Amino acid sequence: MKTFGLLIACAIAACAAANDTFFIRGVDVYPVTGAEMKGVSVLVQDGKIADIGAKIVAPKGMKIVDGKGLRLYPGMIDSNTELGLSEVSAERVTVDTGELGEFMPQLKALSAVNPESEHFPVVRANGITSVMTFPASGGRGGRGGGGSQYISGQAALIHMDGWTWEDMEINRSAAMHLIYPSIASRGGRGGLANVDFADEIALLFAGGSAAGTFTEAKRNYETQVAKLTEFFDNARQYQKERTANLPGFKRDLKFEAMLPVLEGKVPVAVPASRERAIHDAIAFADREHIKIVILAPQELGKEGPELKSKNIPVILGRTEALPENQDAPYDYAESLPGEFYKAGVKIAFGTFNNEFSRNLPYNAARAVAYGLPYDAALKAVTINAAEIWGAGDKMGSIEKGKWADLMLVTGDPLEVPTQIKALYIKGKEVDLSNKQTRLYQKYLARP
Amino acid sequence: MRNLVTALLIFCGCAFGADSAAIAIRNAKIVTVSGSVIPKGTVVVRNGLIQDVGENVSIPGDAVVVDGEGMTVYPGLVDALSTWGMPGTAASGAARGGGRGATTTAAPAAATPAAPPARGPEDRPSTTSWIKAADEIQATDKRIESARSAGFTTAAVWPTRGFFAGQGSLVDLLTGEKAGEMVLVPSLGQYISLTRAGGGGGGMGGGFPSALMGMISYIRQIYLDAGHYQLVKDAYAKNPRGMQRPEYDRALEGVLESKRILLPANRWVEIDRMIHFAAELKQPAIYYGIREGFEDRSVKYLKDANATVLISMKWPEKARDQDPEAEDPYRQMLIREKAPTTPAVLKKAGIKFALYSDGLDTPRDLQRAVKKAIDNGLSREDALRALTLSPAEIYGVQDRLGSIEKGKIANLVVTKGEIFDDRTKIEFVLVDGNKFVPAPEAAPAGGRGGATAPSGPNGVKK
Amino acid sequence: MKRLFLMGLMALAAVAQVTVIENATIMSEGAKGTFKGSIVVKDGKIIEVGDKVMVPPGATVIDAQGQFLIPGIIDCHSHIAVDGGVNEGSVSVSSMANIRDVINPEDIAIYRALAGGVTAANILHGSANAIGGQTLVLKMRWGQDAEGMIFQGATPGIKFALGENPKRAGSPQGGRGAPATNARYPATRMGVEDVIREAFNEAKAYKATWDAYDAQVAKGQHPIPPRKDLKLEPLKEVLEGKRFVHAHCYRADEILMLIRVADDYGFKIKTFQHVLEGYKVAKEMAAHGAGGSTFSDWWAYKAEAFDAIPYNAAVMTKKGVVSSLNSDDAELMRRLNTEAAKAMKYGGLTREEALALVTINPAKQLGVDNRVGSIEVGKDADIVIYDKDPLSNYAKVQKVWIDGTKYFDRDSDVSARPSKELEKKKLADQEKPATPATRRPQ
Repeated sequence: MKTFGLLIACAIAACAAANDTFFIRGVDVYPVTGAEMKGVSVLVQDGKIADIGAKIVAPKGMKIVDGKGLRLYPGMIDSNTELGLSEVSAERVTVDTGELGEFMPQLKALSAVNPESEHFPVVRANGITSVMTFPASGGRGGRGGGGSQYISGQAALIHMDGWTWEDMEINRSAAMHLIYPSIASRGGRGGLANVDFADEIALLFAGGSAAGTFTEAKRNYETQVAKLTEFFDNARQYQKERTANLPGFKRDLKFEAMLPVLEGKVPVAVPASRERAIHDAIAFADREHIKIVILAPQELGKEGPELKSKNIPVILGRTEALPENQDAPYDYAESLPGEFYKAGVKIAFGTFNNEFSRNLPYNAARAVAYGLPYDAALKAVTINAAEIWGAGDKMGSIEKGKWADLMLVTGDPLEVPTQIKALYIKGKEVDLSNKQTRLYQKYLARP
Repeated sequence: MRNLVTALLIFCGCAFGADSAAIAIRNAKIVTVSGSVIPKGTVVVRNGLIQDVGENVSIPGDAVVVDGEGMTVYPGLVDALSTWGMPGTAASGAARGGGRGATTTAAPAAATPAAPPARGPEDRPSTTSWIKAADEIQATDKRIESARSAGFTTAAVWPTRGFFAGQGSLVDLLTGEKAGEMVLVPSLGQYISLTRAGGGGGGMGGGFPSALMGMISYIRQIYLDAGHYQLVKDAYAKNPRGMQRPEYDRALEGVLESKRILLPANRWVEIDRMIHFAAELKQPAIYYGIREGFEDRSVKYLKDANATVLISMKWPEKARDQDPEAEDPYRQMLIREKAPTTPAVLKKAGIKFALYSDGLDTPRDLQRAVKKAIDNGLSREDALRALTLSPAEIYGVQDRLGSIEKGKIANLVVTKGEIFDDRTKIEFVLVDGNKFVPAPEAAPAGGRGGATAPSGPNGVKK
Repeated sequence: MKRLFLMGLMALAAVAQVTVIENATIMSEGAKGTFKGSIVVKDGKIIEVGDKVMVPPGATVIDAQGQFLIPGIIDCHSHIAVDGGVNEGSVSVSSMANIRDVINPEDIAIYRALAGGVTAANILHGSANAIGGQTLVLKMRWGQDAEGMIFQGATPGIKFALGENPKRAGSPQGGRGAPATNARYPATRMGVEDVIREAFNEAKAYKATWDAYDAQVAKGQHPIPPRKDLKLEPLKEVLEGKRFVHAHCYRADEILMLIRVADDYGFKIKTFQHVLEGYKVAKEMAAHGAGGSTFSDWWAYKAEAFDAIPYNAAVMTKKGVVSSLNSDDAELMRRLNTEAAKAMKYGGLTREEALALVTINPAKQLGVDNRVGSIEVGKDADIVIYDKDPLSNYAKVQKVWIDGTKYFDRDSDVSARPSKELEKKKLADQEKPATPATRRPQ
């Protein structure tokens, strides 16, 4: 209730001046990229961080926010969601991820983002100021609607506020969502993750597996890889013809969309859970000379040196997850980020979901409990994500010249009871109320 | 009931034995199973029965004499839970030979059209409790020949589809025209499975019951209903005047006439669960499957319950052509490793058990399966017993079957070499005194497939 | 591997009858609140709690080194440890199905829950039917058999389900892949109410038949007993107050509907489960005496979850409803402690109120608050030790006792991992020669 009052007060104050220029006084700044600065002031001008320091003073007439006893962090970034594209996940009509078609690089998540989605205010109320939104449900293999898909489209890096998706855009093509084929035969490490154990045992007694053989699976895999390679070959051929600009050249929307990938400007983001899949995806990226980001790995295996030496970033899934097989230690998912960190791999976190996107910081914290250094966890939800998605110069930390994507909080932002007092996107204070706070107030007051 | 059976037996015996000559196998090693081994002795068979056995037995003048020098005579093997001869159960077939496929616990779909989904226990889903294997059996089933080539002369054949699949029958593995000649015991009890008939399994569309807990509650309801049905019927029989006639219910009739139940139990959890369930139902039970019988707790539960079990010989195997990087769960690997030790473990613990084929039907697969149990600690004697006298005792026919004793049914296997050895050759088998010789190409017990062709003076069946 | 673990467990159990845990930060969730002190456990019960306790001779003394000690977490809604499906979804009333028949004590989820501080859980039938199967409460006694898992003395329950799930099977599209021809009544919330009323109508008649029979027997007569109907038996028990109703629900309308149906037939709803819109009808729930067991912050995964708010538990608590947070999920079950912390963030509950949502409150909802749910003398020694504040994301469960027996120890778990790996590798290696080399079929 108190919080609410404060917010209203802030909102009124904001009206007085330009709404992306203000001064925070006496706050503890946690820049993420540098050491914390206690009791300093931050000047935000035209949406950007203009100055930070103990000695700076607010220009006359500027809106002043009292930061006493509060902490200032850069806003957090969720590296994999479907925000704006999916409203009620069980209701297909409200879901715009998972288009049909095998090779769909021309699809853009950005232009299907609904700025009025109820998820945006709910998620940002927990300090998340930008997200990657993917055209197919990243962690789920992107087979949403269209059977076997290879390229799902362009994932967008967006801000969590804006009148239109154009307002929200940071990078409409931050990554090309590519589903690299994998050998889908029965069995993984220690069995199938999602098969009931009793069923597995029953299967065993029934005399083995119903699924196809490895030989078959491998053959399918090879066919699929050949198909994907052929598409890249064709795209490259198109690139040549386009450069030559011969008469009769016809524009092709799919291949046009592939150009930034071929030129190494846009990375492919590839879900790869197993060690072998990670290895295969990297080998493919090497062959094609393209940039790659690995999504939602379930194991590190021996891939550490390769990921590290090739500077390939990894988007880790939720640590709020079950071990990936029967025999894995109970804290398998929680320990995984620490393992990647120790291997020197650049990591960020994705929730691979909308409903749990607001729990991004808690997933990072859980990794801390099981071995990831705190600073690394904080970076993984801020600066690392910004850098991975090509916006490291604009966001992800509190530095001069960067956007004022900031959260003013009562304590450690990775801890549940911490309250967000104010949130800024490009220096503009955003409303922390949402559908849920409104229903809360309404029914709390029910006589 | 027993009188009837005996009468039937005598009748049958006469029917095929009346004008047949005796057979005498002399100078053979005789493994009687019930008594000590006779290193050199004679067995005389007449009228489908063992007329005499011993070291110094006089051979009747009319007997066809077989010189058993270098041969061993065993009681015919008994498959304690079989589907040989049951129509529509030969999915794995001798031809496939892989030993994987249909099992008695998950029989293939019947060709019958699907019934509408059941709306509750009252629709008696997947229930054919009144069916008797004896009435269904097809003597022409190729698996009967195949099994005989592996030394099997008798099988407890069960209908295996549905929650109350029906009643099993003990049959001799004869190949003939009249299936009735094969039958030793028409009803051994009720086969209960926790799989719906015709596969399909659960889901929303399949009708009641779809989940294991629904199946268990269904079986429980049937026994409650059967008890109530009996009460009402008795009351009506005593005094029908003024009382509404109880409706005839063949499902309950079938359950009531079954003197024991077979319950599926593989994991130790299931063994525990089914022992409790049988106690609750107050039914004498035999548990089948028992692949986790090697676990300490399985042994404890079975011992505490003084239970009798039938152990499947279809030992779980690693899936073929598996992803080399895939790793099965520890538990699966453990079961694969340990399942074949179950017979030895249970023997040591003093638990009554028999072995059964569970879909295996080629001589090679059957022989290998027994051998695997032996390699995993079961003695040859105990393996033999688990396939002869033990099943006879379990089904209460040890007075006529399962060992080589005077007066018992003349079901014998005559081999050169130890019966479960790789290179052992089965010379011939006698079923009800009828001689069957394995087809030459299938002669070694370790050979693939093969049929037994009836031959010799007694072999031609009428 | 599992056996290795079990042997270790039995060894632990056999050690001593009396255990003293000293120097702990005890969040008792009882009258004593939170304090630094010790507890004494004997024969599975807490026999002393205080700043200072008498250490009986021969007792095993554990120094908690200031770590946090809380009562075992209780999950009021779980589907773990069940064999062969949690939904008898073929019929709209599946009350004959009973979780008790299909307990799977070797479900690894039990151990994982234990590692998340859970000591007891209400194991429910699924939500495919207006009236579902019978439920029961288990203690997470990992390593015991099915019978050994059961929380003896806890009142059994029955699952009801309202809203989208029970009507899905009846949808013209044939929910869950069922062909439309097999559509099962009901297909609407109206139909769900009808199914429940019909069932209780039938159950009342059934009860009357049995009551009449019992009366005849009492008079020394020998009538033929009525047919025992396993579908109606548990509903008769509900009418007799011998079985708790745990009703899965989302929307305010259906919550109110069930309250009125219960009023009409004279039974009580023990808890509304999920009850995502409980905050809208908390008044009516409190008046009925029903508890509310909800999620902390799940929402928007389906239409009926669109008005879910993370403030639900706090609002229900403030409006006098005994509230808890449940998991409904083997994963979430492992971190109910931080789910509770969310009620501090959303709705401003105190630390004690928050922790109560996963300890004493679910105990009340399951009618076992005289046995578990707080650290108090006379209660079962179901105890969890965390290294840090259990309401923090950084806290890890270190040790868990149930009935005074230690069932989880993080140090032992971690140190046993290499040998488990080795044992597994050994088995895998043994199998290798038996595997035919992969041939490429031509």
